[in-house]
Amino acid sequence: MAPELQEMLDSKTRVKLAHNTLMMEQILGESADIVRRDLQCGGTDGVPGVLYFVDGLVDERQLEEGILRPLVGLNDASFLRNVEADDQTVIDRLLIHSSISAVDTYQKAVESLLSGDAVLWLDQYASAFVISVRGGDKRSIEEPQTESILRGPRDGFTEHIRTNTALIRRRIKDPSLRIESIIIGERTRTDVNIAYIADLVKPGLVKEVYKRLQRIEIDAVLESGYIEELIEDAPLSPFPTLLGTERPDRVAAGLLEGRLAVLVDNTPFVLLMPTYFWEFFHASDDYYMRYIAGSFFRLIRYLALFISLTLSSLYVLLVSFHQEMIPTQLALTIAAGRESVPFPVLVEVLVMETAFELMREAGIRMPKPVGQAASIVGSLVIGQAAVQAGIVSPIMVIIIAISGISSFVIPNFSASFSIRLMRIPLIIASGTLGLLGFLIVLFMMSVHLLSLRSFGEPYLAPSVPFRPNDQKDSLFRFPWWSMKTRPQMAQSADRQGNNQRPQKPSHQSAGAEDGTS
Amino acid sequence: MKWISARYVARIAPFILSVFLTGCFGQEDINNLAMVMAVGIDEGKRPGTVLVTAQIARPSDAVGQTGAPVGGTGKPIWTAAAEGRSIFEAMRNLDRFSSRRVYWGHNKIIVLSAAVARHGVNDAIDFFTRNHELRMRTWVMVTPKSASEIVASKTGLQVIPGDSVDRLFHYSAYTSEAPPVDMRTFQATFLNPTSQAVLPRVDIVQRGMPATHKEEFGTSPQVELSRAAYFIGNHMVGWMTIPETRGALWFLGHETSREMVLHCPDSSGKWTTLEMRTSHFVITPHLLNGKVSFVIHLRADFDLVEADCPSVSSNLVLTHALEMEARIKLREELLSAIHLSQRTGSDFLRLGERVEDRYPAEWRTLRDHWPQTLSRAEFLIHVKSSIRSPVLLAVPTRPGSVSKEVIK
Amino acid sequence: MGKDVRVQITSGMFTALIVNLVYPKAIGLTQGIMERQAGGDFWLATIFAILQGGLVLLLTVWVVNRLPNRSLAEQADVVLGKWIGKVIHLSLFVFFVGAFGASAISFVYHLMDYFLPDIPIYVFVLAILVVTVYALFHGLEVISRMAIVGVFSILMLNILLLIGSLKDFDVSQLLPVLQSGFTHTLWVSRQHDTDWAVPVAITGLILPYVSKPKEWRSSALVGAFFGGVTVLMWPMLEAGVLSPQETGQYIVACMQMARSAEIGHFIHRYEMIMVAFFGISLLVQLMLCLFGASLSAAKLIGLKDYRPAIVPVALLVGIAAYLLVLDHNWAIIWLADWWPWLAVPVGFGLPILVGLLSLIRYKKIKQLAASGSVAQNA
Repeated sequence: MAPELQEMLDSKTRVKLAHNTLMMEQILGESADIVRRDLQCGGTDGVPGVLYFVDGLVDERQLEEGILRPLVGLNDASFLRNVEADDQTVIDRLLIHSSISAVDTYQKAVESLLSGDAVLWLDQYASAFVISVRGGDKRSIEEPQTESILRGPRDGFTEHIRTNTALIRRRIKDPSLRIESIIIGERTRTDVNIAYIADLVKPGLVKEVYKRLQRIEIDAVLESGYIEELIEDAPLSPFPTLLGTERPDRVAAGLLEGRLAVLVDNTPFVLLMPTYFWEFFHASDDYYMRYIAGSFFRLIRYLALFISLTLSSLYVLLVSFHQEMIPTQLALTIAAGRESVPFPVLVEVLVMETAFELMREAGIRMPKPVGQAASIVGSLVIGQAAVQAGIVSPIMVIIIAISGISSFVIPNFSASFSIRLMRIPLIIASGTLGLLGFLIVLFMMSVHLLSLRSFGEPYLAPSVPFRPNDQKDSLFRFPWWSMKTRPQMAQSADRQGNNQRPQKPSHQSAGAEDGTS
Repeated sequence: MKWISARYVARIAPFILSVFLTGCFGQEDINNLAMVMAVGIDEGKRPGTVLVTAQIARPSDAVGQTGAPVGGTGKPIWTAAAEGRSIFEAMRNLDRFSSRRVYWGHNKIIVLSAAVARHGVNDAIDFFTRNHELRMRTWVMVTPKSASEIVASKTGLQVIPGDSVDRLFHYSAYTSEAPPVDMRTFQATFLNPTSQAVLPRVDIVQRGMPATHKEEFGTSPQVELSRAAYFIGNHMVGWMTIPETRGALWFLGHETSREMVLHCPDSSGKWTTLEMRTSHFVITPHLLNGKVSFVIHLRADFDLVEADCPSVSSNLVLTHALEMEARIKLREELLSAIHLSQRTGSDFLRLGERVEDRYPAEWRTLRDHWPQTLSRAEFLIHVKSSIRSPVLLAVPTRPGSVSKEVIK
Repeated sequence: MGKDVRVQITSGMFTALIVNLVYPKAIGLTQGIMERQAGGDFWLATIFAILQGGLVLLLTVWVVNRLPNRSLAEQADVVLGKWIGKVIHLSLFVFFVGAFGASAISFVYHLMDYFLPDIPIYVFVLAILVVTVYALFHGLEVISRMAIVGVFSILMLNILLLIGSLKDFDVSQLLPVLQSGFTHTLWVSRQHDTDWAVPVAITGLILPYVSKPKEWRSSALVGAFFGGVTVLMWPMLEAGVLSPQETGQYIVACMQMARSAEIGHFIHRYEMIMVAFFGISLLVQLMLCLFGASLSAAKLIGLKDYRPAIVPVALLVGIAAYLLVLDHNWAIIWLADWWPWLAVPVGFGLPILVGLLSLIRYKKIKQLAASGSVAQNA
């Protein structure tokens, strides 16, 4: 920012209206969307004033009803000229509005104006009056696009941060739910909110998050991805250490487990921290469906993790190094299918993986109707024509398809991408060094995962380090009545009362005829 | 500063790794392998050489069309043979004219010719257990014909002959005329200081085929699995008969679901058949004054599965008589195996091991002249048999009206 | 990984470390060697060695517990004086180099002989070095966590093997016992003692980093018990399924065992899956051997942190491992005839020596213990 601009912003406001408006116009320059409305409070002999607002950011009805009408329609403005009148008089008597404040620097006035408030300057008053009439158009609450579930709430976060905090607040009516605000971005001045439940979150975590957020010096924050990259523990790791979600129920559940959420204005993706690796494989309807179904789906997803990470490299390994492992009948089938394939297995796998990624990317980037057509054509070409032409073997198509589908099973797309990315080194190592390469890359990957931490929590907990108490919600989802305590991450352990398991109603006591039960 | 260097090393480690990822050591795609399904070992033409015959599968012909159209030959297997001074050399000689690398990882059977087996199996065991490519569950067998003939022969149901012999072994429990011996068991008994090895015998038989529907029955000779060969040390000594083999199977621990065909109790000369369901075999050695004796308890439960005895009216009568007969027959089988072992001095019934387990201290003196001790050993055999179930029928099948011949 | 954060190993991790350290070499190479020396009694020798190893492990815990802030070698420094301390660091260093070599022999012979005969040995050794160095730079805590993964894979491996081979198990093969005589069997158990020397030596080094000294003894006991049981399963199965003679026939007996296993008729030769699990625990063992070597080298030279020593020590250890692995015959002779003479005196001798001396110089220990706790509080 230019120093002279900064100087202007920092300077104190004065009593002269003309000076103030001049300063405002110098700071803001000519912008089509910034509206200046001159007015007279209380008729011809009233107090002159100027109202600034940004067209499109304010709620016009509120502006008209709540500010312009009382100001212009004022009959007697003499109390404003009273010697004893001060800012509080204006706030108390002139402006009847739910949220109003007086500020005394241009910095604050301009910032409020650009955030969607109306700024009123009155002659002979040194303060600017900031009236919150934020509004304008915003997207209504819709079902999240990225995390579809079968059972559970259908609302998702929007781009509007207040809507988002409201969605959380509506779920947790706990007085100790705190939502604190911080502004990040030199130029964008983006609202970033930190939500947590004061008596559940571990002491120190809030401070640590604040510390990391305040460290950020950046001109713009356009999405929570900016924040994620600037505060995460392992910036070089391919694995995400923060969970981004569009689902308010997920965030609420996280807060209740003692996590902390960071909301960023203008994006529906909210960051949850600390995050365990396994959480990327949990979906929120694990908790809403009956626990047996929920546990089963979880197992399926862990299987999908394994398949998507290793299946193609295991295939390479077996077919080009350890053929004795394949049952004879299958070995013959694979060999027969590869009879006319001109490439080595390693090349074949890499080509097919690339083709698959191309199709996936095309499906996302193209407009929806076209995207579907693209993937149908692509899969037909690869699945049928390429095999018939003898360029790829049919088994390979099956392998790629299964591992591709498995990676779509992983509910969190950023985790799904990292897993997909990690299989490339595995494939290359398996194709060149066989079992040794596979083992070594997998081992190094595990060491890397084990060395990660997310805001002080070991990334692979509760498996490694093993936390017996947290096992009820990791591999399986235990029934709600058995999850008596919160995860170890939370400060307070008690979650529910004793004996929450539904009992068969006892007829003796229900009858209560003799009362000797 | 230390930390900078530490992290630096940790970070470049993957790149160091990738440097030696550039070579492909020993990588060979599966379609470039000639997968051996069965191998036969004969004596070569020149003395002191071996002839190795390998049956190699042609994948696209063996499994049918799976991918792009490939020129098929219509013949699922290709048999190649080569000679050499050692088995390894012979196998390498196979590579000389095989367009693909000969690969042994999927080999299912090893056939030794009787000549090789009589000459000594030490080399074969050494080679096949030393090599990492070979499976340890490969079946081993001896043939009186030449091994290459067995390996090259075709069979009925399976496309690949090696596969069909493999299945013969898996279902050998239903005939129980040959002990299933895989390489690992063969090696273990071979290395054992007292016990002697047994190998199943395969042969080629011409199945009877009617003049019509010739191709339905298979025109070519078929591989048959029956009886066994027994060894002393390195060398094969002789063949067992079917009763001897069946008797020996009890000792070798291959409980089976065998059938037993017995005479009808009514002296009509017709046959009934029993199928064994469960059995229990216990042998305990006893040592008294340097004299070894064995007590054998055998219990077998049968089902009556077929009876062609028109004059017997009741299942009870039938089963009672048959139980007796079965007992005698089982006893005869056991004795025939024991007598063979005693006569030849080959402890293929693994009796010495049982003595050693029970009397480890005395064994040290016994082991030096074990064959002689064994030939003098006494056997006390208790056989129990019961026929528990006549399966579905409550009374035996008989004609409703008595036929005229019987009235006469 | 903050600089100032003291490494803390939980007692669960400590248990896992012991299991990982004793298991991998013991099931493979040791069993074959012991069979060749003791015949059918090799499984009994294993039991003897497990008892001895467990005992020395407990002794180590007891000795370290007297001065819980100092490792065994550092206690020797204090009790015996600086120069003898140097000798002890040196002997520990040599010991760990040898242990690394022994584990490297296991690793290479498992993978190379049975799976990848065409890959040159130097690639194996380089691969081991890269992985262990990479892991070591992440610190002891990460290695200890990896040990938990290792225990999981040991369990999987044992279960897989049990499923695949129990049907061929013949109890009578375990008999007769003590054919070679009690004393001889006891003497042969030194071969498996070498495997126990590694966890004992590592315990002596890392025990001060383990949290909650009160739980040390029970976690060591659990580790020794669990390690013993998982190891013992192998000689029992090897004797009962393969027969003792066949076990002795092979360099890597457990691979012969693994490749004979089959589940049904369809899945044979799933030994690759087993070896993948085995490799994880073996790599944990290798990492800790390198850790021990680097730490002793750092102490020998007088460095505060072991990290600068890692790369030079890794190179040295790598060369030693390469030379050991190069020739199968020599490797087996070295393992059977030479290695016990180094491993058992250093691994078992050190805790016994320090224990005895600390009994003699009881007063000084007490003083130090008192001042040590004061220093820690301050």
